[in-house]
Amino acid sequence: MYGWGGKVIYVDLTREKVVVQPLSETEAKMYLGGRGLNSYRLFKMVKPGIDPLSPENVLCLANGVLAGTALSMTSRTEISSLSPLSGILGDGNAGGDFSAILKHAGYDQIVITGRASKPKYIWIEDDTVEIRDAGDLWGLKVGEMVDTLRDIHGDDIAVAGIGPAGEHLVRFATTMIDKYHSGARGTGAVWGSKNLKAIAVRGTRGVEIADPEAFFKLAKEDEEWFKKNEFVKKIYSVIGTHYGLLAWYPGWKYFEKYLGPEELPEGIRPVDLAKYEVGRTQCFSCPVSCKDVYKLPRWNEYGVSSEFESIYALGANNAITDTEAILKMEQMADEYGMDVITLGDTLAMAKFLYEKGIITDTDTGGIPLKWGDAETQIKLIEMIAYREGFGNKLAEGYRNFAKIIGPEALKYSYDVKGLSRGWYHVDFLNGIFTLAHATSTRGADHLRGRSWAYWENDRNMDPELPLKLLEGGLPDYRKDPVGALIVSERACTLTDSIGRCKGSINSWPQAIPLVWKYPLFKGLAKLLTAATGYEFTEEKLVEIADRIYLIEMAFNVRQGIKKKHYAVPFPPEIINTPKIQAEIKRHWEMVDEYLKRRGCDVETAVPKRETLRKLGIEWVADEIENKEFPEWDGPPLWPLDKYPRGR
Amino acid sequence: MAHRYILAVDYEKCTGCHLCELACSIKYYGVVNPYLSRITIITKPEIQASTPVFCLQCNDALCARACPANAIYFDEKTGAWLIDYNKCIGCRECVYACPFGAISLTVKAEPIKCDLCGGDPECVKVCPHGAIFYGPEYEVVRKLKKGKSVGIVYEVLEKGVEVPAGNRVKEAEEAVKTLYRIWEERKKLNI
Repeated sequence: MYGWGGKVIYVDLTREKVVVQPLSETEAKMYLGGRGLNSYRLFKMVKPGIDPLSPENVLCLANGVLAGTALSMTSRTEISSLSPLSGILGDGNAGGDFSAILKHAGYDQIVITGRASKPKYIWIEDDTVEIRDAGDLWGLKVGEMVDTLRDIHGDDIAVAGIGPAGEHLVRFATTMIDKYHSGARGTGAVWGSKNLKAIAVRGTRGVEIADPEAFFKLAKEDEEWFKKNEFVKKIYSVIGTHYGLLAWYPGWKYFEKYLGPEELPEGIRPVDLAKYEVGRTQCFSCPVSCKDVYKLPRWNEYGVSSEFESIYALGANNAITDTEAILKMEQMADEYGMDVITLGDTLAMAKFLYEKGIITDTDTGGIPLKWGDAETQIKLIEMIAYREGFGNKLAEGYRNFAKIIGPEALKYSYDVKGLSRGWYHVDFLNGIFTLAHATSTRGADHLRGRSWAYWENDRNMDPELPLKLLEGGLPDYRKDPVGALIVSERACTLTDSIGRCKGSINSWPQAIPLVWKYPLFKGLAKLLTAATGYEFTEEKLVEIADRIYLIEMAFNVRQGIKKKHYAVPFPPEIINTPKIQAEIKRHWEMVDEYLKRRGCDVETAVPKRETLRKLGIEWVADEIENKEFPEWDGPPLWPLDKYPRGR
Repeated sequence: MAHRYILAVDYEKCTGCHLCELACSIKYYGVVNPYLSRITIITKPEIQASTPVFCLQCNDALCARACPANAIYFDEKTGAWLIDYNKCIGCRECVYACPFGAISLTVKAEPIKCDLCGGDPECVKVCPHGAIFYGPEYEVVRKLKKGKSVGIVYEVLEKGVEVPAGNRVKEAEEAVKTLYRIWEERKKLNI
């Protein structure tokens, strides 16, 4: 097979068995790879109603069709599982070298089931796939683990794995790739529950391209644009996503307010962060160096990639402005393997509840939770990673944490389907923010369609780009928000499935290559045809994207997601104001319109048989039609003393 | 005598994206495979050390001296040491002899090394950060002068390069200014 690696690895950890099977041509053409292939595999293999931390859960890692080819920014690994944080589909998308090297070894997907009796890691070198003993690795932080594996296997390997947080089943533990790249939604805890510490891979085979001449010509054209673009060159490659601190209104003190560019306090402005920067870096085959390398003189340590999200969630939202301490927390989250957004938002919520008197010193074990207290927060992060004391409760993650505190706390959990809404804009942008949070198939999220729907960064990259997109057939979010969102969701689905980055600049050209030249997906179709030798068209790609999205919706239907879970929460203090009430009314109108256009039943939010038939997946309807699934209320939580605790 | 052309790298600019490796393997083999590249990036992102390893075209090339078949010869025109594959016996002595590890092997155990693309190196063209230069010796060396030794390769591998924070802050200030300017321009377009 051209473009694809052509093989899938199945690992059964209970029986310690590895089976390598060829990737079926039909599956490849129907789901491309990456997120598409993962979501399909999970729907087939995960039985509804299981405990995400039980051996029955399935962990999938996949790279995407164009991963490891010379098309720039194709470095994303998609890690999917039934999420222990939200209890629905959970997938994280991470950069690094893993995806390309896995492709160069000849593989498109790794599917892991069961639970090993002792800690294990998987070693892949071209045709060799072995399950090895990880006794020495267990307990190591992410950096130490990667270094140890590099000592054993050489420095040209890529590593995916977990830190202590994953081992301790922290519900928002992440899969860490090559030390600094993290894929969220709690997949790290799934590794931990399977007693799997890491996957190390070396690939020396490379990728074969069906029509190299045509492909590289297109890829070069695509890259040239990024090399020349002023926004990429002078802003993103210099301050990376810190730019968002000025543009994206970070939340302050658990969303008490949203900070505009002029309100940013000293300590969390891009220039303050630059004081600690010693260099820049990026993922495999990416011309945008969006990640900073920073040094922490107080601790004499280094860290990589302090994103907007870490500064806002760990810093601003907790009212912390000590730059170096925020960077230290970010570095700790990487070392322990935790998602910074859920971590920061959970901590902020705890502080808020403490201030309100909903939790007291008895709950926290005597630790005072004060706004702006960096020192205590650093201690708390460590306690969460090892589930010590109050950390054990916080480790349940955002909504689950609120749930074990009680209904009074749950009112202040601003989540959709278990995932914190994070920051959202003060202006409601014609309802697209709330709608996008509600319809995302992994819970409230900004990378499932939202940013693209209203050209978040496109206007900065090339002010004429939105106009070109409108000419190319993109619905205008000001007139047709539902249509704009659906097209954006398609774009994000395709991007995740070809293995390209959505994060480094958040814009159409990067998500869908050659977009400025050919309307929407035509450029991508050309690239895919040249890479794989199969004929792809814009229409076919739209069909693929819808197929993947509806399979994901069907997966969540089986997990008990009903229409009422498309609701979007607001703070109880403002929910009864006319402005918010109008917003909510409009939201439900848009949800109906969305479900109708997606081909779902408007009353139940279940995909219709006839829609699924049109997409060639009628068998999915047999799984969800006329069946009763218990209503979703987060994942099943364990008694707190059942988790592994302490060092 | 005409000036010799050399390939050189600014270690401080390389961020380790591997695009040069990919471009090199595409040019010579039509596939994407860093192991078939004549340039190899060794990265240590945590200390911002990305070190491209490639043939430095030594004056006294140990690979040529080590070759029992005399297959490695100097090409006056391009200034590169080349391998005559008709003579090469595949013994790999050159690989062991090179003190930099700049010679790789294909799966058929053929040694491969940088031949400067006959005077038009692909890696130079693809590098997004302008970290690789090709040109007359005097010009290239001039570009690299910054008060440090040019041959910092070992030092970089050991300790990494740190750019003084002052520069970074200035760059960040510039970036913020550019951002505000773009926003101003955008307002006029009203989208």
